[in-house]
Amino acid sequence: MVGVLEIKDLHKSFDATKVINGFSLAVTEMTLQCLVGPNGAGKTTTIDLISGRQKPTSGEITFREENITGLSEHEIARRGIGRKFQVPAVFRELTVRQNLEVAYNRETSAVRNMFSFKPDGCAKRLEEIAADVGLTERLGIKAGTLSHGETQWLEIGMVLMQDPAMLLLDEPVAGMTEHEMDKTVEILNRLKKTNTIIVVEHDMGFVRRIADVVTVMHMGSLLAQGSIADIEKDERVREVYLGTEDDEESVH
Amino acid sequence: MEKNLYHNRLLQWLVYVVFFAALAVIPLVMDDAFLLNQLATYGVYGMLALSISLCWGFGGILNLGQGIAFGLGAYGMAMTMQMQTQDPEYSPIPPFMLNNGLDALPAIWEPFWNTGFGIALALIVPTVFYLIFGGLMFQARVAGPFFAIMTLAILSALATLFVDLQPYTNGVNGISPPAALDIGGFVIDPYMSTSYWVVFALLVLSTVAAKLLTQSRFGLIVQALHNDSERVRFLGYNVAIYETLVYAASGLIAAIAGCCFAFLTQYVSPAQFDVGFSISMVIWAAIGGRNSLLWAIIGAFLVQGAQSYVGDEFLNSWILILGFSFILIVRFLPGGLGGLAETLLGMVSRKRETQESLTVGAGEPETRGA
Ligand SMILES: Nc1ncnc2c1ncn2[C@@H]1O[C@H](COP(=O)(O)OP(=O)(O)OP(=O)(O)O)[C@@H](O)[C@H]1O
Ligand SMILES: [Mg+2]
Repeated sequence: MVGVLEIKDLHKSFDATKVINGFSLAVTEMTLQCLVGPNGAGKTTTIDLISGRQKPTSGEITFREENITGLSEHEIARRGIGRKFQVPAVFRELTVRQNLEVAYNRETSAVRNMFSFKPDGCAKRLEEIAADVGLTERLGIKAGTLSHGETQWLEIGMVLMQDPAMLLLDEPVAGMTEHEMDKTVEILNRLKKTNTIIVVEHDMGFVRRIADVVTVMHMGSLLAQGSIADIEKDERVREVYLGTEDDEESVH
Repeated sequence: MEKNLYHNRLLQWLVYVVFFAALAVIPLVMDDAFLLNQLATYGVYGMLALSISLCWGFGGILNLGQGIAFGLGAYGMAMTMQMQTQDPEYSPIPPFMLNNGLDALPAIWEPFWNTGFGIALALIVPTVFYLIFGGLMFQARVAGPFFAIMTLAILSALATLFVDLQPYTNGVNGISPPAALDIGGFVIDPYMSTSYWVVFALLVLSTVAAKLLTQSRFGLIVQALHNDSERVRFLGYNVAIYETLVYAASGLIAAIAGCCFAFLTQYVSPAQFDVGFSISMVIWAAIGGRNSLLWAIIGAFLVQGAQSYVGDEFLNSWILILGFSFILIVRFLPGGLGGLAETLLGMVSRKRETQESLTVGAGEPETRGA
């Protein structure tokens, strides 16, 4: 089985600390793969390595059979990989509408964009996505004044505006209300019919509702992989992760 | 800050029209040639403030060395004007070169025999310089104060270079072309209203071009990267190219200003590369309001106007006053006078909006949260 995204024997060290230790992963087209694992397992670092924010110490990442290891952020984005950050990163000084417009990246050439004012299709797509993520009423206000949940939505909307072949979503429902989470589940289940998605998530309840495949990371390497049912049965996973997760839930 | 009347695009263009119409009236009601020449020089300062506002206020790139483009543009124009007064057969070499012991025209002066070519070089050389220097810096992700310091360093190096290359540049004495610029029979006499009109037209042109640039998609992306350049990369935009182009566009405007300065004063010297002068450009933009192209221009007019009012005797204390107002503005009024106008307009239009929503009943849904 060949994946759209293939990670082979990835290593990443920050100075002396090894954060990713021979991690390999194959993501099949049109599936939603959840990346779970305890704090500090290296999930965000993996997303950083795929999206070009960090360069691997060694290892190879291929996307649609092209080696993208070491490419810069914008080159990777142009190949159809869109990402959302763990700490929502939107343009706080810009309006919600402008945030979505910037994300509509059909044309990335600086020179051509000097002579472009209203790109084709942007306005229509913007209306659709704004409605999708429930921000239609908020288009005119500055993104910095949105609530935390709304900011999460906006960033998801920005990823959608890019229309990427692959979405990397780092903790998309953190800080969302139950209702907002339901909506995210609905959107993701619809999206995975046409896109390949990796979701990093702590909340096993949420994972259960969206995941086709679950990958468990522990200390920078793969601990287990399979369907949600397999994972929940797995003794090692329970030990390093699910046990602590239950504790966390009881605290909430 | 919420959007208000100040942000209405149509109204903004209207304000531009009124502003430039007012500037256009001046030569019609005034016939003092000396004063008109002075006012045209203000147009040059306006262009420089505009260029800073584009680069710094809009693009977020603090540039303390805008004198690089200004000086190179001014020298290019002065060299063109100088060569217009030379004759290939009888006097092929400018007198100052003879005094400096040269007996042939240096190769870099040759292109300036041709007026069109000379003016083109006056604009292209600084712009290409900005493209290369900016490209190298931004590619290496040099930003903020580090970039500002690099521009300062280059500026000082250029000043030294132009002083040291005495035989080619006449050193500290500079170049003073003996005749006015003549473009194919169209003479731009610095003491006639023609020169005012030329500067005025170029100021309008650069302002409109800069304004359009800020309203284009390019402008939107620059705004985004001013806000968070890291995030923009993940949307597929090559940030270094965007930054380089904003920087170079501002350089081109400063080069145009340099050209105007040269034909208005018929004199250029390494003073155009003076660090203090480049810093005062930043002060004009800050006082007027760096986030607004128009207010930056107004800032240049006001500060330079005030400076000429206090006169040369008090120049030293003037610089102190200027530095002090700069600190006050940065601390208490970061938007400058334009920011003040924005706040005031905001108060006016908010009052109107609440009245409207009262009469209409249901207005916009209340903004919730913070
Ligand atoms: N730039 C960095 N420099 C040094 N160490 C880093 C850096 N980035 C991450 N780390 C370390 O790498 C480890 C993995 O971090 P990472 O953010 O990938 O974890 P994570 O699985 O996303 O955890 P969480 O669930 O808390 O988000 C952590 O121990 C972290 O301290
Ligand atoms: Mg993380």
